[in-house]
Amino acid sequence: MGRIHLEHMGGERLFSCASCDTVLTNKKELASTRFTGATGRAYLFKKAVNLTYSEVQDRQMLTGRHKVRDVSCKNCDNKLGWIYEFATEEGQRYKEGQVILERALVIESDGFEENPPPLPEQ
Amino acid sequence: MQQTNCPTNGCLVNDGTASEDKGYSHQEPIGSRNDSGESHQQNGDGTSYTDTNGSATTLPHVKIKSRTERDIIKLIGQHLQGLGLSQTVEQLIKESGCRLDHPAATKFQTHVIEGDWVKAEDDLLELKSMLEHPQALLEIKFLLLEQKYLEFLDDNRVIDALYCLRNELTPLNHKINRVHELSRFIMCNPGDELRKLSGWDGKGLQSRQLLMEKLQAFLPPSVMLPPRRLRTLLCQAIELQKERCFYHNNINEKNYDNYSLLVDHTCKKTCPVKLLKFSLIMAMKFGFVVFQMMGPKLASGSKDSTVIIWDVDPDTLTLKHKHTFDGHSYGVSYISWSPDDNYIIACGPDDCSDLWVWNVQTGELRVKVSHSPEDSLTTCSWHKDGRKFVTGGLRGQFYQCDIDGAILDQWEGVRVQSLSYRKDGKTILAADTHHRIRGYNLEDVIDFNIIQEDHSIISFCTDETGRLALVNVSSQGVHLWDLEDRILVRKFQGVTQGYYTIHSCFGGVNQVYVASGSEDHKVYIWHIKRERPINVLTGHARTVNCVSWNSKYPQLLASASDDSTIRIWGPAKSGSQTSCSPDQSSLVLSSNNCFQDFF
Repeated sequence: MGRIHLEHMGGERLFSCASCDTVLTNKKELASTRFTGATGRAYLFKKAVNLTYSEVQDRQMLTGRHKVRDVSCKNCDNKLGWIYEFATEEGQRYKEGQVILERALVIESDGFEENPPPLPEQ
Repeated sequence: MQQTNCPTNGCLVNDGTASEDKGYSHQEPIGSRNDSGESHQQNGDGTSYTDTNGSATTLPHVKIKSRTERDIIKLIGQHLQGLGLSQTVEQLIKESGCRLDHPAATKFQTHVIEGDWVKAEDDLLELKSMLEHPQALLEIKFLLLEQKYLEFLDDNRVIDALYCLRNELTPLNHKINRVHELSRFIMCNPGDELRKLSGWDGKGLQSRQLLMEKLQAFLPPSVMLPPRRLRTLLCQAIELQKERCFYHNNINEKNYDNYSLLVDHTCKKTCPVKLLKFSLIMAMKFGFVVFQMMGPKLASGSKDSTVIIWDVDPDTLTLKHKHTFDGHSYGVSYISWSPDDNYIIACGPDDCSDLWVWNVQTGELRVKVSHSPEDSLTTCSWHKDGRKFVTGGLRGQFYQCDIDGAILDQWEGVRVQSLSYRKDGKTILAADTHHRIRGYNLEDVIDFNIIQEDHSIISFCTDETGRLALVNVSSQGVHLWDLEDRILVRKFQGVTQGYYTIHSCFGGVNQVYVASGSEDHKVYIWHIKRERPINVLTGHARTVNCVSWNSKYPQLLASASDDSTIRIWGPAKSGSQTSCSPDQSSLVLSSNNCFQDFF
């Protein structure tokens, strides 16, 4: 079997898969913490990497009908949350393309600033 | 090999080539000429070389050793011979010591051209040993007898023809089907009927020369040069130069007389699509323009409310108004011609829930399609059968409809930005808001990813083969994708886009060009093999929203702009004057807001 190609988005505060520690996204991509998933509290991210996507599923949620794909860790295949493909309610359209990761299934850790701000001019 | 003893050895040869004659039994000798020690002065009188008995004895005083050099002399000799400059050829042979063909081959050729089939067959005995494939002898014999047979028929010598067919052709036991076919010609009248049925030129020099060309294919080049070899090589050179010329966009290419052999071919920069020929101002912002499939008609859509069908004269490049289709109160943002050019579909902007199918022949509305006021139908694509189409928009509608707009299939949950049927007529390509182009089979309910871009896809189109897609990507240039390999082939640079919907297109002869509108008021043209534009057309004063390349007249390009003009671009021709023709008074324009550009 080949080696799984993983990406890394960088950032100071990282979110990783709780079971295999694969980095998924960072705090800059965090859009909201006020979501609820199957395991409780969940976070909405603008973007996440190292995921695999299921087929589209129609899901009725508190905020209306959505088409979503479940997302799993590309490395260990653990289910992590879902991605919004299509929101029926016009007001929910902002979520399309964004990713829900359940808080219980990810862990936070410290990264580092990859592009430090330029030194102040003297 | 017995060539050196052959009595007719010297027919077109000087006989300083004894060693070369020997060489024919193996390969052509390379630089092994055997004239060392002898340094004859050139005999000023060339007549001795016309002696077919090979009595001439003068040896060349110039040694030409390199194989290439000798090949070149052969090519020149053959070419001159073809022009009928036989004396010069004799002189060339004499002086260089290079003969064109093997003497046996020359003899053979003479007999074929004279139609002396018996002698020609005898010559084969001599040529036999020089053939590379044993099968070649059979092929040659067959071709000879075929000609012999047909000539008998043409002379109305049916008995002789029959004899030839039965006792000479058939025993070869070769190409039985062709023999059967030949036997049928016995029944037809000599002359026109025979020629028509057999596709043969009739007895004479022409058909024999044709025969000779066929025969040459079976003889090694060292024995007999392939026909018109020099011309073949030069044509290859021109082909290569044309291929390397990024501005090449000509249709009539059968004749090479237009090309100078003296310099490498390059089209002038003005060649493909350069000069603004015509421009027309109206009180309209043109959002879309597209040529019909098979002719010079042009459909334009403006942001206020109308679709206009124009007749474009491909010679004078004048635009003549043909139809105006009104009622598009939201504006027109997309137009598509049906494959048979009888209909157009016009779509509106995002807040428009309707689309119109217009009959271009009659100028009548076929149907206004409207399913729900909540719909947004902004793009469409015709099926190749011209009986159905797909349409969709950013609010998530994605319908396959029949020509009258009844929904046949639909797909939920895709915000469609741009659509195109694939060649198979089943898969539909749809660009969506997730920067993807995915394939959808609406009947079997299958979908799959094809392209994933990193930025928003504005629009896309496919080429004639259906294999390549041209994708306008927000702030990322125009991307050329191979849909089969699912790989990004090229990123065309230069355009500015991201704010408005910009359309691009393929075009030119063999679709080797790519064009796109741009927000910097320019039209960009690329060669499909180069990232940098080969031409940037200036003239528009606002964003160029759309371009369309005519497929029947591959030198014509139209562009539509917010500056209220449609411009037709063509190759620079000297002395051609165009005139504005606001002759259709039904238009919204008056003559003073119509102007003409001469760039």
